[in-house]
Amino acid sequence: MSWQDDIDEIKKRRDLAKQQGGQEAVAKHHEKGRLSIRERIDGLLDAGSFDEIGQGAGVPEYDEAGQLTGFQPANFILGFGKLNARKVIVGGEDFTVKGGSPNPAGLRKSVYTEELALKYKLPLIRLHEGGGGSVGGTGQDKNRRPLGDPVFSTSRFLPLAETLGAVPVAAAALGPVAGLPAARLVASHFSVMTQNAAVLIAGPQVVKRALGHDLTKEQLGGPQVHLKSGAIDNLAETEQDALDQIARFLSYLPDNVWTFPPHQPTQDKVDRCDEALATIVPRNRRQPFQMRKIIESVVDREKDGSSFFEMSRKFGPSLITGLARMDGHSVGVIGNDCMFYAGAMTASAAQKMRRFVDFCNSFHLPIVSFVDEPGFMIGPDSEMAGTIRHGTSAISAVLQSRVPWACVQVLKAFGVAAQAHFGPDAYVLSWPSAASGALPVEGGVAVAFAREIAAAPDPARRQKELEDMLASSQSPFPRAEGLSVHEIIDPRETRPKLIAWLDSAQAAYRTQAAQPYLTTMRP
Amino acid sequence: MRIKINSEIAGQVWKITAPQGTSIGADEPIIILESMKMEIPILAPKAGVVLELHVGEEDMVAEGQWIATLESA
Repeated sequence: MSWQDDIDEIKKRRDLAKQQGGQEAVAKHHEKGRLSIRERIDGLLDAGSFDEIGQGAGVPEYDEAGQLTGFQPANFILGFGKLNARKVIVGGEDFTVKGGSPNPAGLRKSVYTEELALKYKLPLIRLHEGGGGSVGGTGQDKNRRPLGDPVFSTSRFLPLAETLGAVPVAAAALGPVAGLPAARLVASHFSVMTQNAAVLIAGPQVVKRALGHDLTKEQLGGPQVHLKSGAIDNLAETEQDALDQIARFLSYLPDNVWTFPPHQPTQDKVDRCDEALATIVPRNRRQPFQMRKIIESVVDREKDGSSFFEMSRKFGPSLITGLARMDGHSVGVIGNDCMFYAGAMTASAAQKMRRFVDFCNSFHLPIVSFVDEPGFMIGPDSEMAGTIRHGTSAISAVLQSRVPWACVQVLKAFGVAAQAHFGPDAYVLSWPSAASGALPVEGGVAVAFAREIAAAPDPARRQKELEDMLASSQSPFPRAEGLSVHEIIDPRETRPKLIAWLDSAQAAYRTQAAQPYLTTMRP
Repeated sequence: MRIKINSEIAGQVWKITAPQGTSIGADEPIIILESMKMEIPILAPKAGVVLELHVGEEDMVAEGQWIATLESA
């Protein structure tokens, strides 16, 4: 007897699954300018590489004879795929079925996502759009009480937490994302949201009922909120841009923490010395400069532009964090942006630093630090934000690093916060513009020499004399004389010097097997 | 199109470089704030005309404060 009937049944069920929420629901979704989850997965992965898991999972309806009469597909799509020829796990809610709020099969697939990534040790990509649970439970039948998870089951949040220490996790918010999907979204190393996405703990109606605020979901959790709150790293102009950013992010990383990052051949010259670096820092310390231009000048230039991929630009903006390549090797890059509070370390910049440094250590990325640190941010707002604790926590993370560090002291390195820019046993290059000490002279002189200045016949002149005298003692030349830096360099030499260092430092680092990175309690 | 220009940092208005009515190019400074002893320009995101300035020299500016309105083509 042939199995043809059953084989036909498989095809029928696959066709039903591909209909998602039905033609009408998909059309409505498109009208909002959004793609369906299957279109998103196609837009992300190498063509034809999606290898789905659980396509047959769903909520069936049978007649009395046991024949299938209806089928609501699981509203979470999951599977293996290839991204730039590397294997990944990809999953996401199907908003066209129940607005992405999980049906029973959808919930099972969604909580299986992290288990798969952990088991196969592959990068994980989640494309989110949907709500969390409802008071009615995941079932369809309001007359039946839902059967909860057994008491001995593992919490679904445990694998969610464990993936962060095992494999790269990138996530996108591509529409409204609330409740559990929002928690899953931020349980990632990199998150991106589109202009019309919103990320919410609870939606407008719940907020209005509990707190009386009358706000739209965009006002509550749109990009203008969550790029600054630090919940989401980057903004995407379109859905495709979000998928491209995820692909780019993963290009710098290994498949898991037990392997090292990949090397990408580059056409850029190792000995490229950009002329502009000689004059980029103004001699007048009141005038700012563009740290991003320095970073982009030093790291590899690739076919489509700079290899520098910035993350979390709007959160803690006095600190720049991102990934780049140098002679084809992946590195983590940090730098101060003096356009924001002279580059001072705010509470949010400190949190950004700690998270980024832990991330680099997790995936064995050497860190290149471009330093222009005036110190912790001062003033009542900064005290109220607990900057001292967050800042000290960042310093702990930096000094407990195991990856190689190189530091280019571009300008300022003052106060306790300067410690957060120099990893353990760092290779330190100093530009001639560098200035180091306990306090910048402009503030420090007025405090330390207050009496002497007040007693002078011309206090302003005396203050200027003292400032000039102390400024010369903060110069990098005495530090080079005492071997407090590895070398004082012509800024144009920065790229070749760093690449030569990276070659040796990385070879030494890689004599030991790649291991998961476990951290201790921090301040 | 009218564009609201907000300051992303707190500081004191040190200099107005593009008074009301000035035509200005993209990335040119409208005002310069003194913040943490540095001169930080607030730049026009697009080319246009400064329609209104909501601050004067020596005014204190808070983070997020609306400082100018730009009419861009």
